[in-house]
Parts: sequence; structure tokens; C-alpha cells
Amino acid sequence: MHELGVVIEIIKTVEDLARENGLSKIDTLVLQIGELSSIIPHYVEACYPAAVDGTLLQETKLKIEILPGNAICQKCNRVFNLLANNSKCLHCGSESWELLGGKEFMIKEIIAC
Amino acid sequence: MDSFKVIEIKKRVFEDNDRQAALLRTEMRKEQTFLLNLMSSPGSGKTTTVLRTIEALKDEMEIGVLEADIDSAVDAAAVAKTGIKVIQLHTGGMCHLNAVMAKQGLLALGTADLDFVILENVGNLVCPAGFDTGAAKNAMILSVPEGDDKPLKYPAMFALVDLLLINKIDALDYFSFDLAAVQQRAKKLNPQLKIIPISAKTGEGIAEWTDWLRSEVTNWNKK
Repeated sequence: MHELGVVIEIIKTVEDLARENGLSKIDTLVLQIGELSSIIPHYVEACYPAAVDGTLLQETKLKIEILPGNAICQKCNRVFNLLANNSKCLHCGSESWELLGGKEFMIKEIIAC
Repeated sequence: MDSFKVIEIKKRVFEDNDRQAALLRTEMRKEQTFLLNLMSSPGSGKTTTVLRTIEALKDEMEIGVLEADIDSAVDAAAVAKTGIKVIQLHTGGMCHLNAVMAKQGLLALGTADLDFVILENVGNLVCPAGFDTGAAKNAMILSVPEGDDKPLKYPAMFALVDLLLINKIDALDYFSFDLAAVQQRAKKLNPQLKIIPISAKTGEGIAEWTDWLRSEVTNWNKK
């Protein structure tokens, strides 16, 4: 839903960074999106060409890394994926766990040429 | 490949918004203005609830309202009739407000003499949950016709808010809406959540809601 507005914000941030670093061309922009964040990678990819049109990133490729939504079980201390296991521990079935990651939404890096 | 240079950024995308929001909260604390971010689906009775709230509190505190919508000024026009200060914000197609937009609205409204500002967010249970507006407290409305399964479908919103109003309880007889189930589902997501069933139409429950607001406003605006 709100991916376009968010991607436009990202483009602005990256343009500022490019200026600060004296870059005139960026080859690849790498984003990290957690499985449990409210951002849908597919939508980000779909609106990316429209968002970069006419900007410094017009020719820049987009790469998205998906980060897993993992938790550590508070009963058996083992790590499991929340989405794949319906938020229950894969090993002991417990529903008490601590979130380890998956809500991230980061600009990881840019590859300049 | 040595003509390529990798620049690590490691920057959270919402970092700027979170910083702006924290800044706005500090400013509002200094100005002694309590900002409430009110969220809900379209048609849940947000504006009717806002009108009821103004009516109940306008004699004891100075109130302002920020109306956020994609388009139109119908909500602002309804609020303006009560004689209080109101600004209509247009998000230009965006489905949520962020802290920068909230700040612009507050500047336009002028908050120096206001004790309490209601920010009526865009009608949407999804996106506003992801963006801190800089409000002191967050509240949401769920109305009876929407159904008792909403905490299951939109967990982020229910987990985030400080207070949940369940509106249109005068219509409970006409819908298969399980009030106890909603309370239990919402509390599971958010154990600290305060829940008040109301009817903005009949006025039922409004006193409990305004009591909560009065104590929050007083608390926030204390020197």
C-alpha cells in the first residue's frame, strides 16, 4: 500500500548520500527487508522503476535481501522461524519466545562504480 | 571489478521519521500540548467521536483538531461548526501521516494556546501503524459493524495503541459481534491496553473516555 511513498523517501536518502560521497553513478542499491516487517518486497520491486525515474538512481539496479523472522524459544532455548511454524516453537511447541529479528527495513549498502 | 566500491549504509529506513517524531514529542511537552493520534478504519465513527469529545471537553480546555484525509474537507467542515480550531491535511494519496506532516499541521494550527490536539489520522488500520506521528498517546476506534475478528487481521495496530474505543455499541443487537472475544483478542496482543466500549451516537461510555483523556492531558501538561 504505502511502498511507493517509502521508496521515494529511500531514493532521497540515497541521493543525499551519493552527493556526500561525491558519487555520480550508483550501480546497485541493496535493501534489507525483514519477513515480519510491513513492507512487501514484491511491491517495492514493482514501484521502484517509477520511483527512480528522473533521479540519480535511474540506472541503478535494486537488490533486496530478505531477513528471516526468527525467534528463540524461552522453554528449550532453540531458534525457529516464526512464519514457517505458525509462531510456535518447532522443537517443543511452546508459544513463549523472544523475537530475534525479522522486522528490519534497512538501506544496507550501495555499490558505486 | 576493483572499479566498484561498496558503501555500507546500514540505515533504518524509518530512522528519520522516528527522530522527527521524538523531536515533536519533546516540543509538544515543552509547549504543554497533548497530541492524541486517533486511528481507525473509514466509517468507524472517528469524526462523530471527535465531535462528542469536543462537546464534552471544550469548556475546560483549549482543543484543536488536525483532520488528515487523502482528499476533501468534509471532516474539517463538520468540526469547524463547533467553533474550535481545525486544519485539514491532505496526504496527496498517501495512506498514512508521518511525523513531518503532523508537525506541519501543528505549525499551521498554532499550538501555543492549545492544551489538547486530536490528530484524526487517515482511515486505515494498516499503514498508520508503521509511522510514529510524534503523538503523546495513540488511540484507535473499532466499530461493531466491522466485526470482532479485526484484532486477528490487523494485529500491528492493536498492539501499538494505548487505548481502544469500541464504537457503535448501540448497534450490538443487529450484528453478531462478540464484545468479550474482541477484548480477549486485543488484550492478548497488548496486555496493557485500555478498552472502552462507547456509542458516539447515544453518548454511552463517552464519560469514561473523556475521564481518561482529561487525566492524560493533565498529566502531560504538568510543568
